[in-house]
Amino acid sequence: MIAIQLDALAKIYPGTIEPAVNNISLEIEKGSIVTLLGPSGCGKTTILRLIAGFEKAERGTVSLDGKVVAGNGIWVPPEQRGVGMVFQDYALFPHLDVYKNVGFGYKGEDRRERIMQVLDLVGLQGLERRYPHELSGGQQQRVALARALARRPVVVLLDEPFSNLDADMRAQMRLEVKRIIKNAGATAVLVSHDQKDALAISDKIAVLEAGEIQQVGTPREIYQYPENSFVATFVGQTNLLKGKIGEDGCSVLTALGKIPYNYTHAYQPGEQVNISVRAESLEMSREGNIKGRVKEAMYTGEAIDVQVVVDLPGGESLDLVAHVHPEEEVREGDMVAFSVLPNFVKVVGDK
Amino acid sequence: MRRYDYHDGAANMQYNLKYKISPLYNRGTWSSIIKRLWGRLWGGNAPDPYLALLASAIGLLMAVPVLYVIWRSLFAGAERWTRLLDTRIPALMQNTLSITVATTLLSIVLGVSLAWLVYRCDLPGRHLWQWVLAIPLVIPPYVGAVAYIMLLGPTGWVRDLLGAAPVDIYSFGGVLFVLLMFKFPYVFLICGAALKRMNSSYEDTARSVGMGTWEMFWKVNFPFLRLAIGAGAILTSLCVLSEFGVIALMRYNTFTSAIYYQMESYDNISATVLSFPLIALTLLFLWLEFLSRKKQKFYQTTNNFRKTETIKLGRWKPLAFFWVGSVFLLSVLLPLSVLVYWSVFGLAGGALDSSFWGYALNSIKVAGLATLMSMLLALPVVYLKSRYPSLLSAVISKISSSGYALPGVIVALGIIFLFNQYIPWLYNTFFLVAVAYLVRFFPQTLQYGEASLNLISPRIDEAARSLGYPSRKVLFRVIIPLLRPGLLAGGALVFVSSLKELPATLLLRPPGFDTLAVRVWVEASEAVYHLAAPAALLIVLVSILPLKLMLSKY
Repeated sequence: MIAIQLDALAKIYPGTIEPAVNNISLEIEKGSIVTLLGPSGCGKTTILRLIAGFEKAERGTVSLDGKVVAGNGIWVPPEQRGVGMVFQDYALFPHLDVYKNVGFGYKGEDRRERIMQVLDLVGLQGLERRYPHELSGGQQQRVALARALARRPVVVLLDEPFSNLDADMRAQMRLEVKRIIKNAGATAVLVSHDQKDALAISDKIAVLEAGEIQQVGTPREIYQYPENSFVATFVGQTNLLKGKIGEDGCSVLTALGKIPYNYTHAYQPGEQVNISVRAESLEMSREGNIKGRVKEAMYTGEAIDVQVVVDLPGGESLDLVAHVHPEEEVREGDMVAFSVLPNFVKVVGDK
Repeated sequence: MRRYDYHDGAANMQYNLKYKISPLYNRGTWSSIIKRLWGRLWGGNAPDPYLALLASAIGLLMAVPVLYVIWRSLFAGAERWTRLLDTRIPALMQNTLSITVATTLLSIVLGVSLAWLVYRCDLPGRHLWQWVLAIPLVIPPYVGAVAYIMLLGPTGWVRDLLGAAPVDIYSFGGVLFVLLMFKFPYVFLICGAALKRMNSSYEDTARSVGMGTWEMFWKVNFPFLRLAIGAGAILTSLCVLSEFGVIALMRYNTFTSAIYYQMESYDNISATVLSFPLIALTLLFLWLEFLSRKKQKFYQTTNNFRKTETIKLGRWKPLAFFWVGSVFLLSVLLPLSVLVYWSVFGLAGGALDSSFWGYALNSIKVAGLATLMSMLLALPVVYLKSRYPSLLSAVISKISSSGYALPGVIVALGIIFLFNQYIPWLYNTFFLVAVAYLVRFFPQTLQYGEASLNLISPRIDEAARSLGYPSRKVLFRVIIPLLRPGLLAGGALVFVSSLKELPATLLLRPPGFDTLAVRVWVEASEAVYHLAAPAALLIVLVSILPLKLMLSKY
């Protein structure tokens, strides 16, 4: 079942020439969590607002639960779309307590039971009489989520849900929000500029740049098999290299030498390509054939981010990023050698 | 199967394009052009047309009386214009400008010196002085004038004591003194706020290059204060330009009093001619204010704010205390004591009889009506400006404020014309007085309403809509409850301002409809002080109530 279908959506804000979003087509399955991931200004929030009905698209259609709600001369206002929205600043009604916030707009017979049920779901039992200003950031977010879920919406939209939380809270709320949405059986669309949020919480990620979708896929697909250089650099750290497909059909020849690559079936041997070599796929080992000098080493706890300068035969040099296991000792100026693990290498498009 | 679905959808879309959208586009190019222009005006975020229409109507309502006065003055006839230009206008212009300039200049001296002593120096009780010296601002100047007439007038105390009045209170100097005593807080408060915001780093730099306090004041503080002084001075000037009570009570003659007397003798057309130069003067000062505001944006305090150090007065302390104390004595203590004195007499003589409470009730009735109207009408204007920012909503908000800076006599003149001509059945009812209050004080509700709505994120509206409430319901369920404190605060100010208002009340009240302000005027004019004092004192007491609210603005 498709919960949301976007078809060739385009939105141009008055006074601008470039569309804020262009040619957006996306299908979101019922019960899944999808993240729109991209840098600020890429149009991801615009898409969310188009789905909710706070903006009108110039072209294209939005369908919810199989019914067109915008486009084709049809316009369903936001209050009739059955969409739950969680705003970046939560937008809780300051003059209403938690109970009334969650119950706002819920008209069913079972009002009280439903409110208590959702409060239970988000873990806020006992706080019904508190006012928003008496709650912590994480609690406010739970109220916002409970309020959005109370009416059993077709879809819940979350705009940068974690950006207002500090780091500890953030990691915890990622898990919590995922659990709550899954337990409620809801379909959710998130907007985020943080790849960690997106990778942790999503069933699928749509990466956006300059108003267009660059790639849609599972977190693993996005991370491991980026389709173009934008996706490769925006999600995670990577090294982009030029090369050509090797004669053996399972490698790419680059300035660094032969790099193993498993998915060359779509290409002819000798074809010019760009490849992305993830920082994780550079493994430090004595036998490695890529040798260079450490320019910078930054210990992050989980790994050591190393910048390596590799001198090329023609007198030129190349900067590489690698993640080294935190147990290793790496200092600036050290000579190190790497080999490439094929699983995190991908041919990428030009973009 | 999917492929088929897709084609079906595409065919469907073409169908729609052909039969639904294209006829609409062809039907009237005019309507489509207007629609597009309307959309562009609001930047794609167009409000409910009824809301825009309602707000525009309210804006026009506020501007029409004044515009109508200008319009009528253009048809006053060449003969009348030349007569007034030859005989009246030059002298009035000179009188008006001289009292305005003199009051403003002396206000600057008084306001800056007091602000410096109170906000920067170790004056004893400086925190108390900060709000005590603001009290004169809420005392209606005509009440002050009445008090000084009781004191220094031909039948005043001082004459009784000395046999002859030492000074003539009915003079330029007398008017200047009274205006100064009750208008100086504008400069004082604005400069005080600027001094409070001043970062100590500037002064530290001055000290580090070896400047003394006096040199530092002129080279560092004064230039910094210049904008604040300018803003305070313009506000003072606007107030003096529109002042009526003090001028008329003390028998001086400026445009406001001339217009008033012209209307009293039923020559409304000449009154419009006299209004014309006064409106022009007011607009000139408003333009100056606009310019000074624009400049103020360049001055921003940095993040690392540190309060300036308190300056030690040392041996100057007694003199400074004497200076601040005298101003307080002359602007608050003395006038209030006089009023209390005469009130005691009045009370003993039974001044608080049923007719007194009748006047109070009239005051409350008409001020309350104006307050209710202002809160109700502010809502659409505030909502439009905050939620649908555009050129049009900014213009509506601006023209809604047109009655604020303009003298009450001119507002009253416009209202007389309009009601006489178009709504005669309301003429000679106290509704006219309420409308005048509304036009004059509407911006106060507007300002407070705007301030509180701007604190409420538009996301709140959207949250309510996504929860199933159409925009009109959102207004009642969310916006109005959240806006209530702001509207009430603005409304409180409108109520108090209306209670104090004099010129429009005098001109528009139906025969026999006396308010407290009117009684103060009538009894003081006839030197029945023991009857004027209780009403004046009551007005002052009510006026002091929202002082805290007013101070939060500075």
